[in-house]
Amino acid sequence: MGRSYNTIAFDAAKCDGCGDCMTACATAKTGSEDQTRSRIQIVGSADDGFELALCRQCGDPKCVTVCPAAALTKSTESGVIEWDAAKCVDCLLCTIGCAYASIALDAGTGHVAKCDTCDGAPACVPACPHDALTYITTARIYNEVGDWEDLFAPGLAGCQGCNTELLMRHTLRRVGPDTVLATPPGCVPGMGSVGFNGTTGTKIPVFHPLLTNTAAMLAGIKRQYKRVGREVNALAIAGDGGASDVGFQSLSGAAERNEQILFMVVDNEGYMNTGMQRSSCTPYGAWTSTTPIGKGSDGMPAQGKTQDAKNLPLIMVNHRCEYVATASTAYMEDLYDKLDKAIEASKVGFAYLHVYSPCTTGWRFPTDQNIEVARKAVETNFVMLWEYTPGAGLQFTRPVDDPLPVTEYLKAMGRFRHLSPDQISHIQGKVVENLAFVKQMVHQARA
Amino acid sequence: MEHTKYLVVGSSHAALEAVTAIRMHDAEGSLTLLTRDPYLPYSPTVLPYVVSGRSAATGIFLRDEKFFVDNRVQLKRGTELKALHAERNSAELADGSEIAYEKLLLATGAAPAIPPIPGIDQVSYHVLRTLDDAKKLHAAIKQSKQAVVLGAGLVGMHAAENLVKAGANVTIVEMAKQLTDGYFDQVAAQMIEKAFTDNGARILTGSRVVKLAPSAIGSALTLENGTTLEADLLLVATGIKPNMDYLDQAGSAVEHDQGILVSDTMQTSVANVWAAGDCAQAKGFFTEAKVMNAILPDATEQGRIAGMAMAGDPGLKHYPGGVPLNTYHFFGRHAISVGSSKLADGAEVLTRFDDASGRYLKAIFKDGRLLGIFGVNEFFDGGVMCQLILRRVDLSAVKERFVANPLAVGRELMSQLWR
Amino acid sequence: MTTATVETPNQTKPAKQKVILCEGNEAAALGVALARPDMVAVYPITPQSSLVEHVAKLIADGRMDADIVDAEGEHSVLSVLQGAALAGARTYTATCGPGLAFMFEPYFRTSGMRLPIVMSIVTRDGITPQSVWGGHQDAMTVREVGWVQVYCETVQEVLDTTIMAFKIAEHHDVMLPVNVCLDGNYLSYGTSRVELPDQAEVDAFMGVKDVNWHVALDPLRPMAVDPLTGGSGGKGPSTFVRYRKGQCRGMQNSLRVIEEVHEEWAQRFGRRFAPLVEEYRLDGADYAIMTLGSMTGAAKDAIDEAREAGKRVGLIKIKTFSPFPVEALLKAMNKIQALGVVDRSVGFRWNCGPMYQEMMGALYRLGRHVPSMSFIGGLAGADITVGHFHRVIEATEKLVTNPAPAEPVWLNERD
Repeated sequence: MGRSYNTIAFDAAKCDGCGDCMTACATAKTGSEDQTRSRIQIVGSADDGFELALCRQCGDPKCVTVCPAAALTKSTESGVIEWDAAKCVDCLLCTIGCAYASIALDAGTGHVAKCDTCDGAPACVPACPHDALTYITTARIYNEVGDWEDLFAPGLAGCQGCNTELLMRHTLRRVGPDTVLATPPGCVPGMGSVGFNGTTGTKIPVFHPLLTNTAAMLAGIKRQYKRVGREVNALAIAGDGGASDVGFQSLSGAAERNEQILFMVVDNEGYMNTGMQRSSCTPYGAWTSTTPIGKGSDGMPAQGKTQDAKNLPLIMVNHRCEYVATASTAYMEDLYDKLDKAIEASKVGFAYLHVYSPCTTGWRFPTDQNIEVARKAVETNFVMLWEYTPGAGLQFTRPVDDPLPVTEYLKAMGRFRHLSPDQISHIQGKVVENLAFVKQMVHQARA
Repeated sequence: MEHTKYLVVGSSHAALEAVTAIRMHDAEGSLTLLTRDPYLPYSPTVLPYVVSGRSAATGIFLRDEKFFVDNRVQLKRGTELKALHAERNSAELADGSEIAYEKLLLATGAAPAIPPIPGIDQVSYHVLRTLDDAKKLHAAIKQSKQAVVLGAGLVGMHAAENLVKAGANVTIVEMAKQLTDGYFDQVAAQMIEKAFTDNGARILTGSRVVKLAPSAIGSALTLENGTTLEADLLLVATGIKPNMDYLDQAGSAVEHDQGILVSDTMQTSVANVWAAGDCAQAKGFFTEAKVMNAILPDATEQGRIAGMAMAGDPGLKHYPGGVPLNTYHFFGRHAISVGSSKLADGAEVLTRFDDASGRYLKAIFKDGRLLGIFGVNEFFDGGVMCQLILRRVDLSAVKERFVANPLAVGRELMSQLWR
Repeated sequence: MTTATVETPNQTKPAKQKVILCEGNEAAALGVALARPDMVAVYPITPQSSLVEHVAKLIADGRMDADIVDAEGEHSVLSVLQGAALAGARTYTATCGPGLAFMFEPYFRTSGMRLPIVMSIVTRDGITPQSVWGGHQDAMTVREVGWVQVYCETVQEVLDTTIMAFKIAEHHDVMLPVNVCLDGNYLSYGTSRVELPDQAEVDAFMGVKDVNWHVALDPLRPMAVDPLTGGSGGKGPSTFVRYRKGQCRGMQNSLRVIEEVHEEWAQRFGRRFAPLVEEYRLDGADYAIMTLGSMTGAAKDAIDEAREAGKRVGLIKIKTFSPFPVEALLKAMNKIQALGVVDRSVGFRWNCGPMYQEMMGALYRLGRHVPSMSFIGGLAGADITVGHFHRVIEATEKLVTNPAPAEPVWLNERD
């Protein structure tokens, strides 16, 4: 996996050209408040809008290639293009190489100067009174993950654009090789993770439990390793059907016994592997192959699922597990935080992670819209991201202050295309109701 | 016979960019890099700073051994290309051995052009093109009391400044009517000249040496006008000529003129052979004619294009043509030149000069488009200016503002147009 | 290990065996404790409940060092044990009736994964009619899915067989799960004198535990357990066939291993049980009755009385029901002219007892016609008395000369 890096992001719409960022940079880097000496330069006007000239820390930096003195190098650690004062000969060729005005002569020193991100704590970012600058650190995850082995074989036979494959590869990289992985029947083994006819798609011990007994089998494995004094992670990556329907009893039993396992549910809201049938996690109104659309009889058309989804993660909260959280691949930082916490929690008891996983095949959206659909689910509060521990209770991890109308989510995919206005208002009503319910639990936790 | 998929001859900017470009597209194909230098890659451009002592001779290398190991490049140092047998895809080396290649890049650079002055073979003189040259000159400067520099190009001027600063009496002899001819205009050249004379150098422009002979302290020079000079250190910096003797050795069919003629993808006239950098003669941006544009930024651009073409990278874009680009730092001042200084028909020249600050700016436009911009002590973003030229951006509406403040207006345009 | 080693000790009966009085469920629990499993998983169900209570108490009292999982149902009970076995644990549980039915999904898989789990079935009749009493219907219903099933006659045999079951299951030529069946009510609650083997002696008998050498979920030996296997042709179905044949080979191997283990047990502990088929007073018999489990005690009394009365009748008792011990049975059948088979459950498809049906299959190989008939008794806890067996003997005696009835005889029909 190639490396990616932290970056200073600029939201032009929020910038009013106040120049506080330049003052902060100049102060931090030169000790003066001379904005011309700032390495971040806000340009433009109130009329035309403001923009910035700031080192993009290019992947293929021309400033580096035209430097005759080897004074500029791109750090493979931080991604920052570093300037070596001792090697620089002040020839200014770099300023000709850069097309973005990002390395320039500092008249105060006679040398060139460029943004070095203040070693990961850029002074300009907190100085902005309008949050137009943000230091995006998401890349940390990918860089860390890039150093971990992908414990699934390449070439798993998932659908194109499969969110579940993305999720399981990330998850197993993080959980690591000292793990026994259970993947009950569904998309996860369906794409070949346990393998076919004597081959396997996973580099660690992996097995196909029954759809019904994942949590119980894992509990037995974990307990035996504990008995013989070995640290082995017991991980389930299970579908929503196997967890909320037929597998619910063993899941609930294992949670009640506080078995030391990490149970991840990949919620694609139905039995997608077997042909997109309804599960108890399928939302109201959704088309599935067993809740199809039709003209019905007696003037009552069939319009998709007629019941609301079971809220499995909240049910798990009521088991008072060591850790329960919801997550989304649209918010990887949040997901990784929760994965870290869940791994730790699973060393002392039951950890449950419920990840909403849009299904391009079953939900009917283009294969490149996966993350967008996942994001819209959160931005509309159709899905809420929270975590629960017995000590802190339930807390939002990414509260949505100003949610989009749920139609923004619904219209992103074909399975809701047939919805009537009444159905849409039912769904919007449920979003509001669910939010109020979770808020009440958050409120109680704070009380 | 040794066989390699990619053979790159040369180890400076063009060669190194080509290696990177090849490896971007072909991670595995065997790649051999041949250089006559015994050192790791360095830039000729940095050598004046080795002469002055500003750059440590050990700290100028552009790549380390690890780079070649990591990129699976077989690095052959101290080996010169003697003859190219393009008809059989083979390169003959100085030691008589041959390497068979599938794709060859000639990035052999240039060597000092030694003027045919009578007696030049009787005297000892310095040139500056290799690290060894620079080390020798660095040592000699400390001893020099009376130095003569032939040629007022950037190499000569850098060396002259170093000699001045080391305390020598320095005379610069230049055939042209001004210093830094071809780099900077007359106004700029006068500013440069003034800086040198203010620091004690003697400038003889429009002068030609007609005779050289050994003397008690080193060498004696006779100028066309009869003037005689003596020098304990003589530097010949009258220009460069591409290294391409290997083409003639075996009667290679590779077409060459002043340099090796190349297409817009840096391919030579024969199959499987590309050329880039100071040895190549490629089209200019301002003229379809093929020109020598032996500057560092062009070498990197050409090297990258050649590497992509050799590896069959589908992302290859054609060479837009060379734009002259130069920067020059002298006695604490700087000069930047971007684009063409030639005054095309209908060109409009806007200048400003501030005597007090010593800031000078000249911009040349045609049809509202920037052709060139030149400044002394006036900093602007050369890279942004170059884009304005390459993109032929219409600056009619902002021309005056632009000349008044090319730094700020250039950045505004950049943020609107391509950032 | 390819064959069980049978040592010949100097003494045929160790001196240091404690004698206690206990019910069959407790005897089973004591046998489990002596076999030192790593994990037991439990869920209560009548008439098995006191068995797991005894196990729990043994662990609570520190008399047994095992992890106990109070699972939320039998389905999870067996699933937990499968996981533990894949991680290398010796495992045990017990169930019966509806619990066994609920467990069926993982039950089917256990033999396919070749996991040597030992499970007691404290047999109970099938519902409906709703019933909580004894009968072999539960165990008979699951007889076709690759578990070794042995039936005990006495409380002592329950204890001894429970220990032997682990050794049989874990034998490398077998590697199959084993059910030790003890009749609900009659053996589960029946209290009897029991000799308790010495722990060290049992340890020596058991040898070294090695239960997941062939299949494991262990990061030190990573493998995929149970990838999808099959398809319309090629490697998939042929791999599937290899697994299935292996299961069948393991079942057949178990017949030899069961005999070897029983022999070693007899050598070490001085108690000899017929491993596959017991022949009782068969020499000089013209006909015989066939029994299974605890009913055999009353049957033997009836045989003794009939012999006293001059009837030329003997008894064949099946101990190992799965795999069906065809060869051993034929050896016994060779000696007789007619047979009456008493089942404690119903074979609905053939309108007879399931053991009768199995016996008929074996009989085909005998090469001569042996008239036979099916008796069904002891359903839903009903007692099969010596009197009932006299009726069986009389009816079977008539087979030597008269044609066999088409209908089974329902022994408790008019009780």
